[in-house]
Amino acid sequence: MGKLPSTILRRPSLAAGYLHSTSAAALPHTPSSAASNLPLPHGPAHASTGQIRHATFVPRSRRPYQFTQLVQLSDGSTFTVRTTSPLALYKSAKDSRNHILWQPTEKSLRNVEVDEAGKLAAFRERYGTGWDLGGPPAAAAPDAAAPAASDAAAAVDAKKVAPTQAPAPAEAAPAADPFDSLTDLISAYATEDKNIKGGLSAKDQAKKEKKK
Amino acid sequence: MASLRGLSRPARSLPLSPLSRQTYTAGSIRCASSQAADGSAPVIADLENSTLTTPQLGDAEKREFRPWKRAADRKVALPSGRYQYHPPKYNRGPLHPVQSPASSDPIARDFVPGPFNLPRLKQTYHSTIAPDLMTLAYTHVPPGTPKKEAAPRLRGWDGSSPYHKNRALRGPRGNPVLPLVERDITFNNVPAITEVTIASYVPAAIADPDHLLVARSVLLSLTGTTPEITKTSSNVVQWGIKIGDRAGVKTTIYGNAAYEFLDRCVHLVFPRIKDWKGIRATTGDSSGNLSFGMSPEEVKLFPEVEINYWMYPAKMVPGCRVFIKTSATSDRQARLLLQSFGVPFYGEVRN
Repeated sequence: MGKLPSTILRRPSLAAGYLHSTSAAALPHTPSSAASNLPLPHGPAHASTGQIRHATFVPRSRRPYQFTQLVQLSDGSTFTVRTTSPLALYKSAKDSRNHILWQPTEKSLRNVEVDEAGKLAAFRERYGTGWDLGGPPAAAAPDAAAPAASDAAAAVDAKKVAPTQAPAPAEAAPAADPFDSLTDLISAYATEDKNIKGGLSAKDQAKKEKKK
Repeated sequence: MASLRGLSRPARSLPLSPLSRQTYTAGSIRCASSQAADGSAPVIADLENSTLTTPQLGDAEKREFRPWKRAADRKVALPSGRYQYHPPKYNRGPLHPVQSPASSDPIARDFVPGPFNLPRLKQTYHSTIAPDLMTLAYTHVPPGTPKKEAAPRLRGWDGSSPYHKNRALRGPRGNPVLPLVERDITFNNVPAITEVTIASYVPAAIADPDHLLVARSVLLSLTGTTPEITKTSSNVVQWGIKIGDRAGVKTTIYGNAAYEFLDRCVHLVFPRIKDWKGIRATTGDSSGNLSFGMSPEEVKLFPEVEINYWMYPAKMVPGCRVFIKTSATSDRQARLLLQSFGVPFYGEVRN
């Protein structure tokens, strides 16, 4: 009769190695005569426990050093974050605390036009509001207090009116129509404005004025 | 005061000095605390196990205690002082004698220290946002209301043929993919951020692989994890890409890191983008995962990139796409969650 496959013969030695290692691991620092000829618990002797073909690699995680950073928002509030940035204190100048999108009720963040010298008003008087980017011009700076007060009053009025008049915001919405400024531009040409002299661009006209 | 408790109320009111009072009187309630005063009480004695009460060693015993002799007699050397345990490099299966330590063990190869802080957004979520969302989405169902039967999502067979018996059900018409069923927000189902994936496609890296390096280091500094390199999945001759080109990087962050990244986006980066309206409300894969893109200019606004902006070649800084995966099962729930985090949306909504 032929010999059995060698794998079967190898198994007892593996079991013996397993038993040795467990007994040594259970009593790691007791020097007794029984454990005298045993291998160390985590030594290279474990190579003799047999090869494993399904071993999986345990990777060390590769990550950058992360600092604890103190972030100070523009309103002075602070909090800590873990970040790769080595800066100890990050002071932010523009963040959600001073942005109109996140603070829609903040008056100071509104886009108000500073027109102390009245140059913008003069420009509008001369060329119309067709060149304005957004909607109707907001309150000017020199008399900021009065318009602000009137704004507040208007807001209060609007609040008072709002429950009774639901479609008020709906009426306000068409005013911000993108075609509005275009219409204004066209109508500015249509009206008989003595300031507008035909055939000259704004730039040329300014030059002409300068020469005079 | 302990002895006071053992006394009856009228006895307590007597103007006796505390020392002259009896510890406890017969007929009053027995208190273990008052019994502790006299040390012989058996109640306390078995709890007390002090080393001070053990007897001192005798001279003969002291002479017999010779650790140096034991060390000299030892046949096998103990591990030296320089000996260090190194966890095994490979996991060899649960039955192998060599086992790697748990990943929470600081010596383990896959140990990651932390957490070092409680992210602000996470704290807000657990203290404020989650209860608010739950309350907001509450729909009252009077007790005893019969449960509504959901319509079957798979189509059956009409049985016109004998072969229809035991046939598997068919998917819906038109779209073979079954969409997720929206689950109601309840006390045990409040949407939360699961993970955030940041991906960057850099087709210029096919011609010049340096782009990959820059994209990799940008994503590394943004997330604090090592990104993996992605490959092109399609052939487009006009764009000069073919399948298998290394042309992108991506990384995924979970848990605290995900919350912190989102917090940084919302409060530090988005407000600094010029004329930023918000995230398009049509975003989403209709199963609760939203995404948005950032141009190279916007990526440069991150504090981590900004701090050593000179490190990156200016024209090689990539844009990226950010995928926010939530545990919500529909886009509107995910949008609700992100809106409560402070993310503005604009435009018309879908789903």
